[in-house]
Formats: sequence, C-alpha cells, structure tokens
Amino acid sequence: MKIQTPAGLAPILLIEDEPSVTAFLRAALERHGYAVANAASGAEGLKMLSGGKYSGVISDIRMPGTVNGAEVHAWIQKNRPELCARIILISGDTANSETQAFLAQSRAPCIEKPFRVQQLMTIVEKTFGKP
Amino acid sequence: MHDRAEELMELAVDAAQSRHLPGFLERFAERAARLLSAEWCAVMVFRGRETDSYQTSTGKDRPDAAQHTSLIRSARELGKEIEVRQLLAELVEAGEAEKTKTAVFVPITASDAESLGAICLVCEKKKLDKAEERLLRALASHAALSLENFRRFSQLERSKRQWVEDIDAISDYIVVHDRSWRVVRTNRSLASHLGVPPVALVGEAMSSLRQIAESGSDLPCPFCRDTQQAREEYVVASPERIFLVSTSRTPGVSDDDTRTIHVLKDITDRREAERRYRELFDSIQEGLFFATPDGRFLDVNDAMVRMLGYDARDELLRADVGPHLYPAPAARERFLQALAERGVLRNYEETLRRKDGTLLHTLQNITAVRDSRGNIAQIRGLMLDVTEQKTFQSQLQRERDFNQKILNTTQSMILVLDTAGLISYANRRCFEAGYREDELIGYRLVDWVESSHRADFEAALETTAHGQQVENLELRVRRSDASMGHFSISLSPMRDEQNAVNSVVVVMTDVTDATLLQAKLAHSEKMATIGRLVSGVAHEVNNPLAAILGFTDLLLENPQIPDNAREDLQIILQETQRTKDIVQDLLSFARQRPVQRELVHVNSVLRQTIKLRSYDFASHGVEVVEEFDEKLSPALGDSQQLQQVFLNILNNAYDAVQESGQRGRIVIRTRLRGDSIEVAVTDNGTGIADPEHIFDPFYTTKQAGKGTGLGLSICYGIVRAHGGEILCWNNSEQRGSTFVVRVPVANDASVAATLAKEAGR
Repeated sequence: MKIQTPAGLAPILLIEDEPSVTAFLRAALERHGYAVANAASGAEGLKMLSGGKYSGVISDIRMPGTVNGAEVHAWIQKNRPELCARIILISGDTANSETQAFLAQSRAPCIEKPFRVQQLMTIVEKTFGKP
Repeated sequence: MHDRAEELMELAVDAAQSRHLPGFLERFAERAARLLSAEWCAVMVFRGRETDSYQTSTGKDRPDAAQHTSLIRSARELGKEIEVRQLLAELVEAGEAEKTKTAVFVPITASDAESLGAICLVCEKKKLDKAEERLLRALASHAALSLENFRRFSQLERSKRQWVEDIDAISDYIVVHDRSWRVVRTNRSLASHLGVPPVALVGEAMSSLRQIAESGSDLPCPFCRDTQQAREEYVVASPERIFLVSTSRTPGVSDDDTRTIHVLKDITDRREAERRYRELFDSIQEGLFFATPDGRFLDVNDAMVRMLGYDARDELLRADVGPHLYPAPAARERFLQALAERGVLRNYEETLRRKDGTLLHTLQNITAVRDSRGNIAQIRGLMLDVTEQKTFQSQLQRERDFNQKILNTTQSMILVLDTAGLISYANRRCFEAGYREDELIGYRLVDWVESSHRADFEAALETTAHGQQVENLELRVRRSDASMGHFSISLSPMRDEQNAVNSVVVVMTDVTDATLLQAKLAHSEKMATIGRLVSGVAHEVNNPLAAILGFTDLLLENPQIPDNAREDLQIILQETQRTKDIVQDLLSFARQRPVQRELVHVNSVLRQTIKLRSYDFASHGVEVVEEFDEKLSPALGDSQQLQQVFLNILNNAYDAVQESGQRGRIVIRTRLRGDSIEVAVTDNGTGIADPEHIFDPFYTTKQAGKGTGLGLSICYGIVRAHGGEILCWNNSEQRGSTFVVRVPVANDASVAATLAKEAGR
C-alpha cells in the first residue's frame, strides 16, 4: 500500500538504532500521512540534519555510538533553532537518572517505550501538526 | 741464872727481832717462868672468843688439859689488876698435899686499854712481893707492846700480801719500772704470760718485755712513749694481741723513787668485736644509723650513705642535712610522736628525699634510747630501701587497675568458669546487661544458652578444658530480659602454675544488632544488584515490546484483518500490555527517582491512604484501628511515594486478613522513635511465609496474575531512597504480621538544607 505524501512538505527525521522500532515508527507515521527519513545512529542523524531539510525530529535517547539523543537535542538547539520546538524524544529507560535529568532540562515531549500507536500520533500531531 | 735486867733486855731484843709470834711468845713464857721462878707459864692471847695459849715446854708440874682450860677461863675473867688464885686441891698432885700452888694472872692490856690477853704463872708462892709485881707488870707491858707490834706487823704483812694477790689477780698485765728501765715489779698475769714466776723478772731490763708488745718508740721500755707525760694511754699491738697501755708516772724525791707503771689491757677481743661490728655496720646492705631526735645523724653506715645518694659519710653527718631529708615535716612529727609513745617502731614506712631530690621509700625499724629523765636521747635504726618494691607495687597496682578498667569498661561480657562450667566471675558489663549476680555466680553458663545450642557450647567447653581456644562461636543466648540474643562467644583456657587448665575465660558479645545490620547490608546490596539487572533487562525488553505493541496496533487498525485474527491480535495486545506492566513495575522498583523533599505529615498521608481503601475494608468487615501520635513531627520526603508504600502495605494486610478467614483487624501506629518516624502496620492475617525474602522482586505468595511480585520491592526502593528502612516480621504473640516503615524526621538542619537546595535550582 502506497500512501502519498503531501508535496513540498519536508520529511520527519527518525533517529533510532533499533530496526524493529524504526520499522514500526515509519509504518505508523507514513500511514498517517507523514514523510519519514531515518538514521540508524545519532551520528548519522546529525549528518543528515546538517545536509537536509526536515520538518521535525523523532529521536531515541539511548543509542550506541558517540552521539545520543541528548546530544542530538543539543546540536539542534545550537544549529537548527527553528527545529527546537519540533523534537520528540523516545525513551526505553526513564528509570535512568541521567535520562530524567535530561528530560527535565530539555522540556521536549517524550514517549516511553512501549507505547500505543494512538499515544504516538497524539504527540506527533500536537508537536508537528497534522500532515 | 740470868740476871733479871739482862733477861728483860734480851726479851726486848727478842721482841724487836722476832718475826714469828708463836716462837717469841713461847720464849717469852720461858723467860717469865725463869724470872719469877714459876713452874709453868703461859702467855694467853685473846683472839676474839678464842684464846691462844703459848706455854713453857719444861716443868714438872705442867697443868693437864682440863687444868689448862680452867686457867684460860680464869684469865678471860681477869680484871685490870694482877690476881693470885689458890689452885683447887684437885689440881694439886697426890702425895704433895703439903705443897700449896697458886696461879698468878697478869692482864696484857694494849695502849688503848683493849684487853689483849694475860700472862699466867703457876708457882708455889702464896703471894708476890712488890718487886715481883713490878716485874710482872713490866713483863705484861712488854707482852702488850710485842703483841701490838706483831699485830700491826701481821696486818701490814697481810695487807701487803693481799695487795700483791690483788695485783696478781688482775688479768691485765702490770709492770712497774724505775728510771733506769729496770723492772721493779710485775704481776702474776704478766709473768705467767712469759712463763716465769713474778720475782724472776724483778731487776730485769724493761727491753726484755718487748716480746709482749711494742709501742714503737726508741725508748728502752717497749711501753713508754713520752716520759714527760704523767699519764699516757695508747694502743700497742703485737702480731697476735692488741693492748691498751695505760701508763702512770709517779715522780719521787730520788731517781730510785720514780716509778713508771704500765697497765696493759688485752683488748684484742674487744677490738675484734669492734672491728667485726664496724665491718658488719659498713658491709650490711641495710642502712644503719644513729641520730638525734631533731634528725641529725650521729653515725651512719655506707649503705645508708649510698641509699640517700650522698658521696661520703661526712656529708650526711652534717647538721643541715635534716630539712632536706624530710620532705614532710608533719610526717616527721608523727614519727617522733609514735616513737615517743611506743619506744620501738617496727616496719615503719617513711619517705625520705635523696640528695638529688628524688624520693626514697624506706622501711625502718627504730629504737629510741632514752635518757635518765625518759626523754629520747638518741634514735637508732635500720633502714631498708623499698623504693623498688614500692614502684613495683604501684606498677602492679596500676596494672591491676588497668586490667580492672578494661574488664569494667569493655562492651563484652567476660565470665570465668571453673572446669565444671560454673560461673565464678562476671565482669561489670554482665550486670549492666541486666544479669544479677545471684543468678550468674555459681550457676552453669550453659543454662543460659538456647537449648538447641547447648550441645555446641558443651563441646566448646570441653575443647577449652583440654587447652584449646575456641573463637567466635555464634550461639543464641538468653538475655537478662528473657529475650534471645545472638552472641559471639570465645572461650580461652586459663592455666595454673602446673600448666593445668583450671578455669575458662568466656568473652561474650551480643552481636544481634551487628547480625541484623549485616543482614540489612547484604539485603540492600542484593537489592541494588537486582535493581541494576532489572533496569538493563527492562530496557532491552522495551524495544521489542515497542515493536510488538506498535505493529499489533497497526494491524488492528487495518480493516482488512479478519475478525478471528483480530481476536488473536487482541490477545497479543493484552499480553503485551501485561508484559509492559511488568516491565514498568520492574523499572519503578529499579528507578532511582529523585525523592521530592518536602515536609510530609505522615499521619495525614496515612489517613488519605486508608480512605482509598476504606470502602473495601468496611464492606469486608476489616477493622482498621488508628493509633496515631498526634504530636508527630513532619518527615522530609515525597508524599506521593510514601502513599504508594503505605497503600502497598495496607493492600498486603488486607489480602492477609481476607485469606485468614477471620475477622480482620489492622492496627496502624505512628510514633517518634529516635530521629525517625515509625509507622507500624499490624494485621491478624495469615502472616508471612518468608519474611527474609519478602522484599525480593518477584517474590509473591499471591496467585499468578494477581500481582507482579514487585510491590514490596518498589516500597523497599522508595523507603531506602528516603533514607529510611522497611522491616517486617511475624507477630510473636498473635497471628499475623507487622510491617514497620521508618523515615527520618525533618529536623531544622535537614529542612534548611533542603530549602537551600531548592533555592539553588
């Protein structure tokens, strides 16, 4: 099934290291009319951000490699301030005190894994607007 | 026939020349008889009540013994005058009846009128003529004079002899010499020393006496030193003997009269005694002294000098030593008083000061020597240096005190058991712990040990009795309040001089709290490990769970999915949801969620919590009793989280009483306990199967699906995050269990710190 994405609307950048989660997010977002680009790591995400135009960012917080969600958020704040209010964070580990501190400081919306499609879409529409 | 005058002259000469009285008197009697033509004559000499009669040896008419006695009696009755008595007839021999005999008595009277004796003549004359009477009187005078002379002479002789005897009796050697160094006289002692009679030495040169001893002068007399001195006294010594020579010189008118008298006193023994005494005095290790009552030494021995730290005896004998010697004048006074009262002090302890100022502890035996008025004239004593003993003693005392202090202050109970296991000693700690002396001393320690542990204790005691030490035996022992405590016990054998074990030292320490603390520590460590594990697992599970849940949702959104598949998907969804809940619970247990620090009124949090379940309690007949301390201080913490804890405990209590099937009763008490607020929730339910594991994750007694087994683990995490503790146990007196939550009370300091932290945010 092919869903048309509205022309002229930049895609949402999805930064997530877990392929199954990426697949689910892409499917859910695309079915609800959003265009999606994805990066498998924080480093890749930053590379794409600096080279392309995106309407918003959905990023996992805990990712392997040198760049995690918090750093992605910090990079955007510094280099893409227009996207600052268009970040949704995903966390699988809110018990971590570092995560908690980051969330409190960033004020960005956060969805805790696992989540229902409806929970996701409510936050996405609220943050990025309807497609 | 002698002429009378001639006879009298001869008599006088005889009297002057005679040395032998009896011979003279006998001759006198012969002469008197001749002069007066008497047949018999006797000179009777009175000697006290005795009468010596010297009579003529010739004559045909000698009186017999009885007649003689009668005549003597008559002589003794004689007055001052001449008497002429007719002799009794029986005195006259038979056949001569016509011859008349008379006895003529003439008294011999001394110049001082003392009656010395009488002259008795027996003759045939009836009376005497005047010439004869004059002659008789002259004879009596001669006799008196002679007797007196003889008496004087014999007295002189006697006293001279006596004198020589006396001199000879003196054991000291006496020698008298003249100026020409010739021996005039020696006594017998001296002569017998040389092995000769005393007379043999007379006229010898004094130098011949050199063998006795020598004074060392150049004079010819070995005993003279300075002839100008009237008196000399000195000691001379021979290789064997020592003499004290006392010399007197008596100057005379001529050289011959000048006499030098040497008296040699053998003082060898005295000297020896003195030498021995001195040697003893000086070599003895005890201090000996003679002192005046005011504390001045008259004589001291070397030991005393050494003891008091002086360099020489003379230094100690100086008058100004006293004040330095007695550091406490009052003690000195006491000493003198005691001595005055008792005269002798035995083992008297006195502290003196040495020359260098250090103290000397002495033990003295003192004797007071009193003068004629009874005052103490001299103090004689023997002194022992007991400083070392004192030091040793005080060291011993210190050591004893130290040991006593250790025994008294140690937090361990220390007991001594005899080999039969009976308690013979218990240190102070035992009594502080509440045990009474009358229930310990003399009783068996094993009786205090929990019955199941007694065999262990007996075995340990047996081991110790064989000389082996037993360390850290952990036993349960009954405390004084009858509760059981966990004790660490060490037993050590104590040996007597023969190295045989005669008692056992038991050191017991109540380690109940320590054991508890250790258990708590182990538990919290375990919980932390579990927390980390759970956190990691939860995170890893969340990713696949997110995909499963997400895709299930997407599938369900797909209208083309058939209904039967949709039902299956619903199950997947449901189970995923349940998995999610489990993971959520796991995470919230492991979550180190920062505790909101605010003042929390525990009582009101509890009331709100109770209200949440009040419907259930009421509808199932569960009684909830609130025993709150209304004056409870607020705690510092997170009211939401604490409510979660209380709710969890209440839920458990509710489930427990429901299960028991009895009328449920839950008592909730609050109180201040130290720096903590304590909430105790007691139920009369089924109790806890395993209180030690109840806070472990996934530990649940509830049926599957009713709980995740994480509720109390989460409570544990929350309370720990508050800096408090959560405990539970089964009630001892009634069924059911009790949960206790303790959280720190908000004190001024902690509130201020919290406020400051918040202001800094």
